[in-house]
Parts: sequence; structure tokens; C-alpha cells
Amino acid sequence: MKTVRILFEKTGRAVYISHLDLMRVMQRTLRRAGLPVWYTQGFNPHIYLTFALPLSLGYEGRREPMDFRLLEDMPFDEAARRITEAAPDGIRALSAAEPVMEPTDIMWADYEISFVSDAAQPREAFLRFLGRDGILAEKKSKKGVQAIDLKPLFSASEVAGEGLLTRFSLRARAGTAVNLNPALLLEAFARDEGCSILQKKVVRTAILNTNFEEFI
Amino acid sequence: MTLETLDALLGQVQKPARYTAGEPGSVVKEKTPELLRYAFCFPDIYEVGMSHLGMKILYSHANRRGDVWCERVFAPDDDMENAMRSAGVPLYGLESFDPLGEFHLIGFTLQYEMCYTTILNMLDLAGLPVLARERKAAFPLVVAGGPCASNPEPLCDFIDVFALGEGEEMSDELFDLCQRARREGWDKAALLAEIAKTGGYYVPSLYGVSYNADGTIAAVTPKDGAPAVVQKRVIADLDKVFFPDEFVVPLLPTVHDRAMVELFRGCIRGCRFCQAGFLYRPIREKKAETLVNNAKCLLESTGYDEVSLTSLSTSDYTGLDGLLDGLLDWAGERHINLSLPSLRVDNFSPELLEKVGRVRKSGLTFAPEAGTQRLRDVINKNVTEREVLDTCRMAFAGGHTAVKLYFMMGLPTETMEDIEGIALLAQKVVDLYYSMPEKPKGKAVSVTISAACFVPKPFTPFQFEPQDTMASLEEKQKHLLKSVRSKKIKVNYHDASTSVLEAALARGDRRLGPVIRAAWEKGSRLDSWSEYFKADAWEEAFRENGIDPAFYANRKRGYDEVLPWDHLDYGVTKRFFIEEHKKALQNETTPHCRISCSGCGAKRLTGGACL
Repeated sequence: MKTVRILFEKTGRAVYISHLDLMRVMQRTLRRAGLPVWYTQGFNPHIYLTFALPLSLGYEGRREPMDFRLLEDMPFDEAARRITEAAPDGIRALSAAEPVMEPTDIMWADYEISFVSDAAQPREAFLRFLGRDGILAEKKSKKGVQAIDLKPLFSASEVAGEGLLTRFSLRARAGTAVNLNPALLLEAFARDEGCSILQKKVVRTAILNTNFEEFI
Repeated sequence: MTLETLDALLGQVQKPARYTAGEPGSVVKEKTPELLRYAFCFPDIYEVGMSHLGMKILYSHANRRGDVWCERVFAPDDDMENAMRSAGVPLYGLESFDPLGEFHLIGFTLQYEMCYTTILNMLDLAGLPVLARERKAAFPLVVAGGPCASNPEPLCDFIDVFALGEGEEMSDELFDLCQRARREGWDKAALLAEIAKTGGYYVPSLYGVSYNADGTIAAVTPKDGAPAVVQKRVIADLDKVFFPDEFVVPLLPTVHDRAMVELFRGCIRGCRFCQAGFLYRPIREKKAETLVNNAKCLLESTGYDEVSLTSLSTSDYTGLDGLLDGLLDWAGERHINLSLPSLRVDNFSPELLEKVGRVRKSGLTFAPEAGTQRLRDVINKNVTEREVLDTCRMAFAGGHTAVKLYFMMGLPTETMEDIEGIALLAQKVVDLYYSMPEKPKGKAVSVTISAACFVPKPFTPFQFEPQDTMASLEEKQKHLLKSVRSKKIKVNYHDASTSVLEAALARGDRRLGPVIRAAWEKGSRLDSWSEYFKADAWEEAFRENGIDPAFYANRKRGYDEVLPWDHLDYGVTKRFFIEEHKKALQNETTPHCRISCSGCGAKRLTGGACL
């Protein structure tokens, strides 16, 4: 038995598949692809499948990892090709390989973000916001609402503006220990600058370890 | 329209995947001028519509043609509807995102009466006039089919054409006519006149209805050469009929999210309350071999891990052993579950239970429908208390601990004794469990009573019967709750007010058109969802139009009254329904079709005998 990690993209219509639903979507995709995959051995066997870092509903993912197990050896390229053929619109397996890193190695994620706001001079407002000494936000978790400072959790670059649209690149902490969802940053911006985010597009371009190497 | 247009809306709504599709199995074609664009609309939300086998069959059936592109359209939920209306985004086909108004054919499936206002809402959301007469052009042509097309009269203001019968048999002729009309530039009147000449298609605007002083119908008169009676169309040989080898596999959970095969159409039983049992006659089975192929093919193409063996009464399927033998091992090796809905208690064998239980133990549901033998005889259910208990005994011995029992309240001739009988029967099931030494150890039994309100439907022996009044239904619900004494018994019942509306719409006539329209204008849609159902809006709509819903719901019809659907022929004759109704009132049962033919008339449709 061999564990396989594919990197897949989730774009177009597929961004609207929620993480919970993606599990079932991928299980069916693997069945349609006819891959010899391993099932869990419980009362209700199902295809073993894990995602190292969930992607929020509505976000595009360019290189998202998913692990499963193969009962028989087969060329990785073929596995990736068959998954792509069986997958819904917008999901493509880019590569397949044996995993190198552990999900706990994940430390950062890179995003390309654009948003439409009703702030006056949105680019300047956003730069002003980024320049603050501390960015307080409320994070809801199972333990309740927690006040945290977002400032040490990200770096933003390439802030560009065009009318109501603002674009920037974001590198944010990611993983099981600390994870900054870009939505939280945009909420803090809207609150601090007294504006509303009318629309946003978030693309996760890479998932990185502590040395800023791609998670593979 | 593009996905980018929708992105702004989809960020604001729950479950956006309902509105974007792109599912495996969905069909996308290259747009050419010759292509007939067909929007198959299910007037409910995605999760409900995507559970419907008929839609899956007809979607693939239409798309097998090179010159037709069939897309799916569902009703948006509240949040999406608001977002669409405020952004000026019209209702669109899920596959192309093209607005509904750009399609040639708009087809609605009528699965239940409570969807009627949703049809108006969907047309309006598409920017189309809801009234058929205000849609002057030949296209888009609005067509409707499905079980409620058996009494389409309340919808005549809104729908151009009704299709009576089975889509696989008749839709090609409609597609061909539409294509010809487009090539030759026919106007709407010419197109409708041609469609009316095609068997099974009912064009309501070609019929005039006159009324008697007492409000009943005097006559229905065809115009411009339309046939006096429209007869439904059926497939003669189900083994040869088209069945899809692919389903659209939804990306979010739907109500029924599994592969499905159809064991047979029609039903041998003749339960007098059941519209489906008469509408889909004559009985026609598929061979087990055909079904095994259908199932394997679907499971491989969809990736589903469950297949449902569906029909109106699955344990009546004569090839069930062969079907299960052909599928069980194959499915087991592939981690696939089989589910067998609609089992009867009078032919449920230990072998069958063993086979069903082999893959997964789920809850068992049986439908005694009524609490006493007398009332079960009235409705011709042909199930005894002993059979119910024997089946439960088998189920408990096989390790099951939960049983669901379906009943109806408000059946003709029902008394409080019959209501008490429901509680009594459930109690006997509980007592049976605890009397069994071989019951599962250390586990409590759970018996769920689900009690629906009976709605008399067209094309049944009870089409002449008044519906129980709301006050009486509510009193019976209370009495049932009082009669249940065990904590092991749970009672579920339905809201009586929606049942009364359902009864009025089910046996309504053309005068209900303005009522439906008024209710929709007052905000009614998705009426089958209790959170959206507006009883007040409907009450006002009836009052403003000077119509008493009781005239339709609670009035007894004479055998010689012209019923609003008498000019439609579904095979079974009115004479047969009258005989059956008389027998019901004398507590007399009718044997099922395999014991003896009762001469219902349905075999006229296929020529020759049913069995």
C-alpha cells in the first residue's frame, strides 16, 4: 500500500464546493477514475482521504494537496490523469507523488487577493490599515471569541488599486496551530476604515513550510 | 451570462454550488443556431429536484439528440432570489448560464400541487410574463408534465401545453414539431394547433369550459379541431426504453443522493387513496437482467456507493430474487449499498430481510396506512395486523430495533376508533419487541408513527370524496397524541392547513388560476416548505377572488358530475373508479391484478393483457 499526494487546482465553478462536500466529491471522483484505492476498515468502510489544509468556500486554489492510498502500484502520472478526467469542472490533478512533508510542516500560505470596497480612495485606505502598529481582530473558535493581533501573522505586498478595486499579495500563517484566513484581515480592514467589502476574490497560490518551500 | 457575473451574488448566499453546477455528468454542448434549447425546470430547490429520477431520465433522453440541448433549472432559495432580483440577474440554465428567456422550450415537472406558485415565480424571475396569453411569440413555449398534469386545470392560465404520460414515449415528437416550427417560422397559434394533434398533448387554450349555476362544470368544449379527449401516452416495453447510463452527480448533498433503477411502472395493488397506483397503470416490469445492467453501468459512471431499487411497491417485483442475486455480490465487493424502499408487509420474507441486511442495517419503514382492519379494507390496502406484526418480528429477530409506520388521517369513513387503532397497532409492535427472547440485547425499541393528512386526488376511487375538514384533522391529531401511551412511540404529523390547500388545488378547475396568481403576488412560493408557506396569503387570495376552497376540498361529488379532468384519459375508466368507490363504502376489498384482473381499463393503452 502506498500513500499518494496529489496537488490539484480548484478553480471556476469548483470554488463553490465546500470543504465538507469536497470530501464526498473526491471520493466519487476516485471511484469514477477506477483507481485501486484503500478503504477504511470500519463498520462503514469509505475511501481514506485527507486534505492537509482546508480551503474556504469561494476561494480558488492553485496547488491544493490531497492524500489517499493506493492498494496497487501504478504510474503516478496515470493516476493524476485519470483523476482529472473523472473530476468535476474546475478540478484538475496537476501532479501525483509520494508525500515528502507532514501536514504539521505547513507554516505559510500565499494568496492573491482582490476586493471591491466602498472606501474613499481604497488603495490608500488599505495601505494606511496595513501600516498600523497592531491589527486587532476577533477570532471565533470552539473555545469562544478570542482577541488576537493579526500583524505578526502576515505580510502583504504589491498593493495596487484601480477604482473601487484593490489588489494585493498576501503571505499568511497557515496550518493547524495558527491559521489566518484572509477574510479575517479584510473584515478588520472594513471595521477599522468604516467601509464595506462588496466583493472579494481570494486565490491561494501556494502552501509553504517553515523554510518557505512548497508543501509536497 | 458568465460565472464572473454570478460571483458577486454567490459570495452572499448559502450553498452557492446549487447555482453553479459543473457537476460530473452534466451536459454542455456547442451552441449552434439549429440547436433547440430546452430548459427542464423543477419548481423546487436544487436538493429536491436533483433527487428526482424522472428528471434524470428525461435530461439524458433529450440530450441524446444532437439537435437538442437540455439544461436544468431549479428554484433559487430566498437569499439567492433576493440577490438575483436586486442585481437584475434573470433565472438561467445551470449548464450555460444563459437566461431562461433565450430558451425555446421551458418544461416544468409537476410533482406536487404545492409547487404551483414556484412555477409563476420562476417564470417571473426569468423576466417572462406568467400568463400564457401574454407570451405572444411561439418561443419560449412553456410545457408541463408529471403526475399533477393529470388535473392541469388550475394551471391553464400559465402553461401553454401539458404532456400526459411518459416523456420517453412522447417528447421526441414535441422536439421535432418545435424544430419544424422554427425552420418554417410558425406563429404560436399554428404551433399549438399542431401540438394538439399529437397524441398525449393537451393544449388548454383550445378548450372552453362552461359552468352550472351550482358552480359545477357544465361542459368542456374543444375548439379548432382539438380532440375531445386527450389520452396519456405510455411506453409499451420497459426493457427497450431509454435509460441513462450516466446521472448528473451533485456536488452538494441532495435529498436522495444515490444511483437509482426503476424496477417497474404502475402497481398491481389498487390502494384506493393512491394516485400513483392508478396514474402509472398498466403495470410494466423490467427484466432483472436489464436492471442489473442499468445499475452496474450507472454505478461505474457516477461513482455512487449506493443504488436504490425503486418502484411503487418493490417487494411486488417478480424478479426480485434474480435482481438481488445479480447485484449483491458485485455491489458488496465494491462497497456499494443496495436500498429497497417501498416494501410491503404481506410479502416480506426472511430471505429478503437477510439480503437487505447484508450490506447495511438501516431503518425499516412499513405503511399500514390505517389503524383498523375495517379502514384498511375501505382503502383496499390488503394488509392485516398479523402481517404487520409478523414482519416486525422478522425485523427484530434480524437485529433491527427501529421501525417506522406510515399512516394517513382523514380517510373516508374514518372514526376516532380508527385513530386509536393507529396508537394501538404501534403499541402492539412495542409489546411484541419486549415479548421476544431473541430481541437485540440491551437495546430499546423505537417505533415512529408518521401520520399524513389524506388528500383525495383525481383518478382515484376517492376522487368523489370530501376531504376531512381542518378542524376535524386537528382534532384527530390531538386524539392520536392522547392515545399514545408509550415513550418508545414517537408521533410525527403534518400541518393540516397545507393539506387543505393541496386538496383544493388537486381537484381544482380553471377558476383557481387567479387564486394561484394572487397568492404568488402576495409572496407565496416554495409552499411545500413550512418556513415559506403563507397561509394568510392563500386565504386572502381565495377571498379576493370570491372562491371558497371548501368547494374544491370538502365537497362530495356525485358520480354524474363533470369533473375538471374528465376530458383527460389516463387509461383507468371513471366507471371503474365509481365501482371501487362503492365497494370502499361497503368495506369491500378488490384483489390485486395478479390474483384477478378487475378490468380497470388501463390495458387499452398498450393493447393486450397487462400480465
